[in-house]
Amino acid sequence: MARRRDEEDDDQEYEDEDQLLDDEDYYEDEDVGRGRGGSSKKRGRSDFIDDVAEEDDEEDEDDDEDEFYGGGGKKHNKAPRVGSQFFDLEAQVDSDEEEEEDEGEDDFIVETGGDLPDEDVGRRMHRRPLPLREDEQEDFEALERSIQARYARSSHTEYDEETTDVEQQALLPSVRDPKLWMVKCAIGRERETAVCLMQKYIDKGSELQIRSVIALDHLKNYIYIEADKEAHVREAIKGLRTIFGAKIMLVPIREMTDVLSVESKAIDLSRDTWVRMKIGTYKGDLAQVVDVDNVRQRVTVKLIPRIDLQALANKLEGREVPKKKAFVPPRFMNVDEARELHIRVERRRDPITGDYFENIGGMLFKDGFLYKTVSMKSISAQNIKPTFDELEKFRTPSNNGEGEMVGLSTLFAKRKKNHFMKGDAVIVVKGDLKNLKGWVEKVEEENVHIRPEMKGLPKTLAVNEKELCKYFEPGNHVKVVSGTKEGATGMVVKVEQHVLIILSDTTKEHIRVFADDVVESSEVTTGVTKIGEYELHDLVLLDNNSFGVVIRVESEAFQVLKGVPERPEVSLVKLREIKLGGSRSNGNRNGDSLSRFGNFKAPQRVPPSPRRFSRGGPPFDSGGRHRGGRGGHDALIGTTVKIRQGPFKGYRGRVVDIKGQSVRVELESQMKVVTVDRNYISDNVVISTPHRDTSRYGMGSETPMHPSRTPLHPYMTPMRDPGATPIHDGMRTPMRDRAWNPYAPMSPPRDNWEEANPASWGTSAQYQPGSPPSRAYEAPTPGPGWASTPGGNYSEAGTPRDSSSAYVNAPSPYMPSTPSGQPMTPNSGSYFPGTPGGQPMTPGTGGVDVMSPVIGADNEGPWFMPDILVNVHKSGDETLGVIQEVLQDGSCKVDLGSHGDRDTVIVMPSEMEIVPPRKSDKIKIMGGTLRGVTGKLIGVDGTDGIVRIDDSLDVKILDLVILAKLP
Amino acid sequence: MGSAPAQIPTSFGHELRACLRCRLVKTYDQFRESGCENCPFFKMDGDNERVVDCTTPNFNGMISVMDPSRSWAALWLRVGRFVPGCYTLAVSEALPEDMQALCEEVHVQYVPPKRDSNNELHQFVGFHQKDFA
Repeated sequence: MARRRDEEDDDQEYEDEDQLLDDEDYYEDEDVGRGRGGSSKKRGRSDFIDDVAEEDDEEDEDDDEDEFYGGGGKKHNKAPRVGSQFFDLEAQVDSDEEEEEDEGEDDFIVETGGDLPDEDVGRRMHRRPLPLREDEQEDFEALERSIQARYARSSHTEYDEETTDVEQQALLPSVRDPKLWMVKCAIGRERETAVCLMQKYIDKGSELQIRSVIALDHLKNYIYIEADKEAHVREAIKGLRTIFGAKIMLVPIREMTDVLSVESKAIDLSRDTWVRMKIGTYKGDLAQVVDVDNVRQRVTVKLIPRIDLQALANKLEGREVPKKKAFVPPRFMNVDEARELHIRVERRRDPITGDYFENIGGMLFKDGFLYKTVSMKSISAQNIKPTFDELEKFRTPSNNGEGEMVGLSTLFAKRKKNHFMKGDAVIVVKGDLKNLKGWVEKVEEENVHIRPEMKGLPKTLAVNEKELCKYFEPGNHVKVVSGTKEGATGMVVKVEQHVLIILSDTTKEHIRVFADDVVESSEVTTGVTKIGEYELHDLVLLDNNSFGVVIRVESEAFQVLKGVPERPEVSLVKLREIKLGGSRSNGNRNGDSLSRFGNFKAPQRVPPSPRRFSRGGPPFDSGGRHRGGRGGHDALIGTTVKIRQGPFKGYRGRVVDIKGQSVRVELESQMKVVTVDRNYISDNVVISTPHRDTSRYGMGSETPMHPSRTPLHPYMTPMRDPGATPIHDGMRTPMRDRAWNPYAPMSPPRDNWEEANPASWGTSAQYQPGSPPSRAYEAPTPGPGWASTPGGNYSEAGTPRDSSSAYVNAPSPYMPSTPSGQPMTPNSGSYFPGTPGGQPMTPGTGGVDVMSPVIGADNEGPWFMPDILVNVHKSGDETLGVIQEVLQDGSCKVDLGSHGDRDTVIVMPSEMEIVPPRKSDKIKIMGGTLRGVTGKLIGVDGTDGIVRIDDSLDVKILDLVILAKLP
Repeated sequence: MGSAPAQIPTSFGHELRACLRCRLVKTYDQFRESGCENCPFFKMDGDNERVVDCTTPNFNGMISVMDPSRSWAALWLRVGRFVPGCYTLAVSEALPEDMQALCEEVHVQYVPPKRDSNNELHQFVGFHQKDFA
């Protein structure tokens, strides 16, 4: 108080204006009393006192102290008078519930300051409002006067301090404040309604007892009216045509401030802001604000032009321009190209910025960008999140460094709240602390307190969140939580500033994402693996009756692998182009997504057994489905063949590769791979070998076929006994398939037993990127039951052999074929490090039991049949013969009649091969349900033979391998 | 009621502008013709450029204040001392610096819009430097 008086003394020049000053003070205190501070020293102090007083008042305590304080402020000589006045004031306060109560105190204090040099007049004048206070009208007149007085002499108006949050807090609404009422109004007429009510107030004066009307831009259909009573609101809105419905809702006190807290939107529109065009050619395109003209409401943006230069050239030359505007992809303007089309390019300097622009047909270009000035209304600046690709496109070499940072900061502006969380690793990207790493400790509104990594720094630093970027290190496993790649997980392999390169778990491809968009996570997901009801790895039927497997899910389409094995084809398929997907009935979803193919394939299992004794040719195509699983060529690959013609005639070897008509054969006798014409080989050299080999390479499902191949087993037995062979066959197969054969998932037979066989999950797990890879290795070994299966398997396999005892004494000519199998062994070893010599059990064997009955039913008896033409190669010679009789032991009585000395010889199956029929040959069917039936091969389609059955004249399409030529 | 109310906007569309200091909303023409009732010192009347400098079309929300001194909303929005009239809840730009200087000259307080975080930014920079020292 004393100091205040001193100041007053110093401000002698104001003394004569004391009354006015006091008036002004009075006004101010009443009006702003709750926390509005003056910014001059004097006012500040006064306000401080006011605040204290007010607080005390509101809490209805320490009245005595107040009094004392006030009294202390007084000079003693004035005490009695002032004291009495004080009591008056107190009475006043007690009786007055309104906020004006404060001003009594204020007055009191101000007065103490003011009364120093005397001026009773002034004081009296000043005090006058007090008795009038009950009459508010008068009060306001005084107010009005004071305002006028103040603005008339603005030389020392109050000078508020910047408002602080605390002061604002003091303004929080209380029960004594007027209430906010929510009123429904015509949509789009909110502002109009507010203005109308204002006008009404002006017309009707204080008859209208509402205090204010609020129209929010973001709240359509409603306005708020501030009034003490609902009746006042009702009265005010009477007759307003924009307000309908009598429903008036009270806004709870604690929500009142929310109504008034709005964020200005327009500030978003500043230089470098990313915006999107709302209309025109560039609708939806990303643009960057270059200049803002707030007066004319126009914005200059930079865009990637969509300009058809040819069309432009035509237009400029006055030629006719087709009316229909073609869609022009965005492309940077190439000035040279424009010149080539004789488009005039003017280079001009912008007088203000000094930048050079190319003017082409009235449009301005710079660095390939189009600079376009548009109305603010034609762009949208709210919540623009440029995608990564878009930003990449906007990056031109010229602004690589700096430009990126600019883009970065505007990107950060789009961050959600709570972007940073405690514990996040962050790096400072701007300012003095650039590149400082740390961890988030605490997040305030815009500040993030980080614990710096570097020593010697304070424990925590406050950094503006715009200067921070999440930080990841290569090796971190992260999950993308926003943006186009949302949902993907992967490992960070490279960090380029705020851009991370992630090795996706799903696709095993690199994806680029913003560090902002990812969080560290150990979660492994397959990313977006589903659109509609189709998922990754689903087998789907497409529009054009082709089908394929979804091998990749993109944002709006699938990549589907389809086509025939010879011409695999990956096509991009939209959701609507898919007609049918794999059924989901077998709830085995996450375990093995592939298993659902089981439901999709042929309901009846067609015996694949014929393939067993294939000549290495394409597999029997049962309903065309096996094809997908295994190409015809694949069948040949790995088989042991004999070369019949050419320089390598007579050599045997294993087929390693096939391309068109050429076959690459790894010779057995020489460490050499040669290429021979496909027609030069006879690939049924060893019937058993193809079987083994195919199963090795082909579908796992083939393994179960062993038992059915009764006649062959005798030959196999010696080889199998070592135990190695079964391993190859059985165990390796499923793994191989998955690992090597991209078609594997499509192979239906396999899936069948997969379903029955938990072990197969392992293999599919390997296929599924999402699963931990280790499972692939564990899985094949589990089934304890299987360990025994092989034994049973072989005894079972042996059973038929017993019945056809002719095979029992299998000669060992077959041994030579064993080596052909050998090269594979290491491979299998590499897949099953733990089981090289181990149990012959395999997933496949598990399926044997399931399969064998079927096979048995479809496929009885020996392969060779009477009457068919065979190629006998005994003692190095090759002769054609006709089987006359198949003996019990599996050997055949062959009539070499027409080609030899009319002798009939006994030939082991290993010593002869079936002669493949050509078109128009008479044939006999050796397998399947039509076994034994004869017919004519009327055509060949790939690996299928078109056969007209003799009896019925039906035309059947059968796999060539089960057709034997008749003499 | 207190002082005479300000002019009422004659339209509700995009011609509206808000005074950058007191947030009074009127049309451009109204500002140009009669200036701002709360901020006469800007002398906007008749001065097109001044109007452009001191007002903005970028504001958010509108409040018609009938009774500034007794309205809680007006108090909260700190327009309680201004004349009755239509105000906006928030402007998005700060007053140009020369205009701010003018405010200072005539001892009128100017509170820049809250969202302008430039000042805070500077404070942070200062803070860092202190930390390092």
